[in-house]
Amino acid sequence: MKPALIIVALIALAALLVPPLLPYDHIAIDWDSVRVGLFADGHLLGTDDLGRDRLARLLVGTRVTLSVALAAAMVALVIGVAWGAIAGWVGGRTDELMMRIVDGLYALPFMFVVILLMVVFGRSILLVFLGIGFVEWLTMARVVRGQVIALKQRPFILAAEAAGSPARATLLRHILPNVAGVAVAYLMLTVPHVVMIESFLSFLGLGVQEPLTSLGILVNEGAEEMDMNPAALLLPGGVLVMLIACLTIAGERFRDRLADAAK
Amino acid sequence: MGRLIARRLLTAIPTLLAIIVLSFILMRVAPGGPFDGERPLAPEVRAALEATYGLDKSLPEQVWMYLGRLAQGDFGPSMVYRDFTVSGLIAEALPVSLLIGGCALVLASALGISAGLWAALRAGKWQDEALMLGATLLTALPTFVTGPLLALIFGLWLGWLPVSGQNEGWNWLVLPVVALALPVTGAVAKLARAGLAGELGADHIRAARARGIAPLTILRRHALRPALVPVASYLGPAAAALLTGAVVIETVFGLPGLGRYFVQGALNRDYPLVLGVVTLYAALIILFNLFADLIYGWLDPRMREG
Repeated sequence: MKPALIIVALIALAALLVPPLLPYDHIAIDWDSVRVGLFADGHLLGTDDLGRDRLARLLVGTRVTLSVALAAAMVALVIGVAWGAIAGWVGGRTDELMMRIVDGLYALPFMFVVILLMVVFGRSILLVFLGIGFVEWLTMARVVRGQVIALKQRPFILAAEAAGSPARATLLRHILPNVAGVAVAYLMLTVPHVVMIESFLSFLGLGVQEPLTSLGILVNEGAEEMDMNPAALLLPGGVLVMLIACLTIAGERFRDRLADAAK
Repeated sequence: MGRLIARRLLTAIPTLLAIIVLSFILMRVAPGGPFDGERPLAPEVRAALEATYGLDKSLPEQVWMYLGRLAQGDFGPSMVYRDFTVSGLIAEALPVSLLIGGCALVLASALGISAGLWAALRAGKWQDEALMLGATLLTALPTFVTGPLLALIFGLWLGWLPVSGQNEGWNWLVLPVVALALPVTGAVAKLARAGLAGELGADHIRAARARGIAPLTILRRHALRPALVPVASYLGPAAAALLTGAVVIETVFGLPGLGRYFVQGALNRDYPLVLGVVTLYAALIILFNLFADLIYGWLDPRMREG
């Protein structure tokens, strides 16, 4: 878990802190040095066909991808935890109905609904993460519900109820803090998933729009000139794969450790 | 078994209806339409076009008309590819997508299950760790990165395989299928490993071992089927992943499949085409989930009633 997290942290820190230090920003067009190679004119990774600094674009793209992913994962977290906690806590018919809805939504070709949303309502970055968040909360809801149902039987919850703690207080003070661990583990697993979806949409030209850039857009641009300049594809692709892989590994380790601790 | 199928098909109908109506309304409330070309059309022409496609009627009326025709298997005419019906376009594109998706599913299942089982038999050893790390890396490979990358290496640099379009032979299939199969292979391998490793620790397996039954027989007769339950439950999501991946793969490799029509149709606001493809996708995913349930019942008899 540690090395994976360190790699993610390094990439995130670089994306956050380095761009202001660069001599060029990610949209500045430098007509005097179009498509220059490495280290030319202070462009460490060269420039693209509009003379924009590749390093700045790579870092800003990483930052945009990561922020969209975090925001969308938070949307999924809020909806998923609320939905799952209510279903698990109330139980009975309500639980049945709420979980049926989740099952039903699982069966839908959701990616296509998100694509439709993007096409229909313009391609704002806000909509990108709202749309993805609405897709990604289902697993969270299931996991949280399971956890809440297991917790409901535990002696300390029964004790709190016997002592006359109102349902709201029990839920907020005793249940939710105990759901937090699992929720964080699945949040960590949701982030790489969202990174994947965001880049997918951006690759198709449906996600983040210029002048902003994202790893998906850079991969798309790189794929178009890969025969002349393979690095244009390999660098954003590599960062993307690295991020997804490391986040997944860290999330899975964390989840497994929690599961072991619960035994 | 028959009752399970019947019930599943019955619950599939409202799900399908919901997604059709939802997509229909989404597309119609959107600003912009299929006739917003470079030049504005004369009002009379526009009115005639809208009357032809029923766009002048109220929304509920349009939905009702669409469903009525759909019930007869008619997806309506395409609004952008003039003189083509959506059914005709789908009939041309579906075999391409099914071929790529089917090959990828078979490849991913075969490779993934073998790798997963092999890792489970070496649970805790370095081979297991290495394989599972590899599987996680595979799941992290988006098709839109591997597609162009494979095309670059095996198509442009090595020149072994064609990178675009179809040809007479079979080798145009290799790169798209491999790119599509890689992430699914990783996921299948992880599930198969978890399934078998869990099963091998179960009491009835230990009892069988204690009775001196040969390890291979235990594996084949007692452990294998229940171990594959997690893999079967992944079939539905896998089908969805393959269909989504195919959108990119067909664009990258220039193949005339459903995914390309979907993206093109969505960008052109070709309502009937997009609706047709979404309906078909939803039906396919529901079908795969049903299929998964049937395999489930076969693998684990406890699931049969339910």
